[in-house]
Amino acid sequence: MSTAGLSIPFKAEFDVNSQEFSLSGVVRPRSIDEIAVNISMLKEAIDQVRGVLYINVKRLVQMNNTAFHAFARVVLDACQAKPDIRFVIVTSSVVGWTTRMFGHLNKIEPQITIEVYDSKFYPGQSFVENTSFISILRTQTKMTWRHERTILPRHGMRSGITMADICCGIGDFVVLVQKEFQPARIVALDHSKASLAYARDVAAGFGITDIEYTYGDASEMLLEDNQFDFVSCRHSLQIFNRPDALLAELYRICKPGGRVYITNEKNSHCLGEPRSQSIQWTYNEVAKLFSHFEMDVELGPKSRRYLADAGFEDIVVESFMVTNLDGDAQDFADVIAAWENVYAGEMSVKRGDSSEFIQRFRQGFQDHILAALHPKGYAGWPIWVASGRKPR
Amino acid sequence: MDVAEKAPVEATFEPLVQIEMEMETFLSNWHHCDQLSTFIARIISHNRTDPVRHANFFSSALNELLEVSFRGGSPDGQIGCAVYRHGRTERVKLTFPCLSRQRQFFSEAVSNTRREDALTHYLDSISTGLTPSRDVVFLDLAINFDAQIRLENSAPPSITLVVDLPLEGVVS
Ligand SMILES: C[S@@+](CC[C@H](N)C(=O)[O-])C[C@H]1O[C@@H](n2cnc3c(N)ncnc32)[C@H](O)[C@@H]1O
Repeated sequence: MSTAGLSIPFKAEFDVNSQEFSLSGVVRPRSIDEIAVNISMLKEAIDQVRGVLYINVKRLVQMNNTAFHAFARVVLDACQAKPDIRFVIVTSSVVGWTTRMFGHLNKIEPQITIEVYDSKFYPGQSFVENTSFISILRTQTKMTWRHERTILPRHGMRSGITMADICCGIGDFVVLVQKEFQPARIVALDHSKASLAYARDVAAGFGITDIEYTYGDASEMLLEDNQFDFVSCRHSLQIFNRPDALLAELYRICKPGGRVYITNEKNSHCLGEPRSQSIQWTYNEVAKLFSHFEMDVELGPKSRRYLADAGFEDIVVESFMVTNLDGDAQDFADVIAAWENVYAGEMSVKRGDSSEFIQRFRQGFQDHILAALHPKGYAGWPIWVASGRKPR
Repeated sequence: MDVAEKAPVEATFEPLVQIEMEMETFLSNWHHCDQLSTFIARIISHNRTDPVRHANFFSSALNELLEVSFRGGSPDGQIGCAVYRHGRTERVKLTFPCLSRQRQFFSEAVSNTRREDALTHYLDSISTGLTPSRDVVFLDLAINFDAQIRLENSAPPSITLVVDLPLEGVVS
């Protein structure tokens, strides 16, 4: 049996500026001597802070009772010695047992409180986890699949591989990949429980039982290092406020020699004829609107730089344009209508835009729909596909 | 072992995996606890609703049990770990050799998990001792993992811990 080296290494860190002590990885010591350094680091941290010490265990994947007791002991003692300090233990909704275990400390010392880190901490999260997105994702994937199906093999997709689709949404992509390419193992992760529930239903409906859908936070996953030949992350780097952190996670779980595959947009390049100007104005505004919520929907052409900065080699970038002529023009129009609903109907309103602005903003989407359905019209949505190999 | 008494219970639990090892080999390296629990957890979780998180939970619980046998076991004989499933529950059966005073300790620790004041007892032990007593490990499993723990008769010097973990309900 060779599982050695798969575990996520244990790390303890203290950041004095944010008054945050964080524990991550797997910690299963035989005796507390093995973690003595980390214990003293916690004690020093307590000596340095004023007011609140945040203890971040979001990325704590495993901790045995020996370690738990040792750390808990220090914090409980500090509550006695320093009644003026509060402790906030930040756990993750993904790793449920940490919340239960650390939660007991509050019953012993009310100075210790527990916060469960969740989606509300991401600026744009509420929009993208919204269930009204589900129907858009479905049609979008149907449209992009026509292209990606032939593109994927150029980026390392083949039968028999192990793959992960991170930020899988409603999981249509992995179902299509499963049918077309037959990978040996598929893990699909998302942070929307509604989307995952939907995905599991769809898979069950197709009689597919071997896709492992999992609830998780893409920027701190429970998945172990160096596991997958192919890691995809579609249309999602662009909605993260820290795409580099997400990419570092994709890199981590990818096997050396395996590839990470990302797709992203450049919304301002959506186009259509007739009424090109109105359309162009609106999509320029889409880009600005997303950046207001710390999302970069102009990321597509920056993929090469992001992959290079993350340490990938043999980077391949290509782009394709989904158009109204690919298949069903009505599908194209439906997607635009859904965008209009969320972007103009929710996000723009949330930003506090005037009704004149919103009206003009909506007009561009309407014109894009018109271009898509017009007998002589042309409407396009460009996508950038990029992948890089993790060095061996 | 009383087979006649055991059969009806076993009938409903379907075996998933079974591992046996010389106790001496097991005791030669502390990391066996971590490696075995990670390995077994991954195998048995793949067809659960959320395999990754199920494996994480399960590994956490199983590791504690293996650590208990590491600390309390004696080197002669074999350690056996079998996992069964019934509906939303996994059952772990862990058999290992130990000295007779350890048997006494285990049977008390197990019965403590069923006491009404188990939580109070658990909180007390977190707020006092520097290192956890092994007794606390069982309370941890009962309280944080909703485990039901019992001892099954097995031929001395072996002892068998039977732990039911309803994790599917806790995870998803
Ligand atoms: C624009 S959708 C793309 C979905 C899918 N890849 C597709 O192309 O249809 C973005 C997805 O990222 C998910 N997501 C957002 N933040 C996440 C996080 N921190 N961890 C995991 N998934 C996240 C959302 O729930 C949503 O399903």
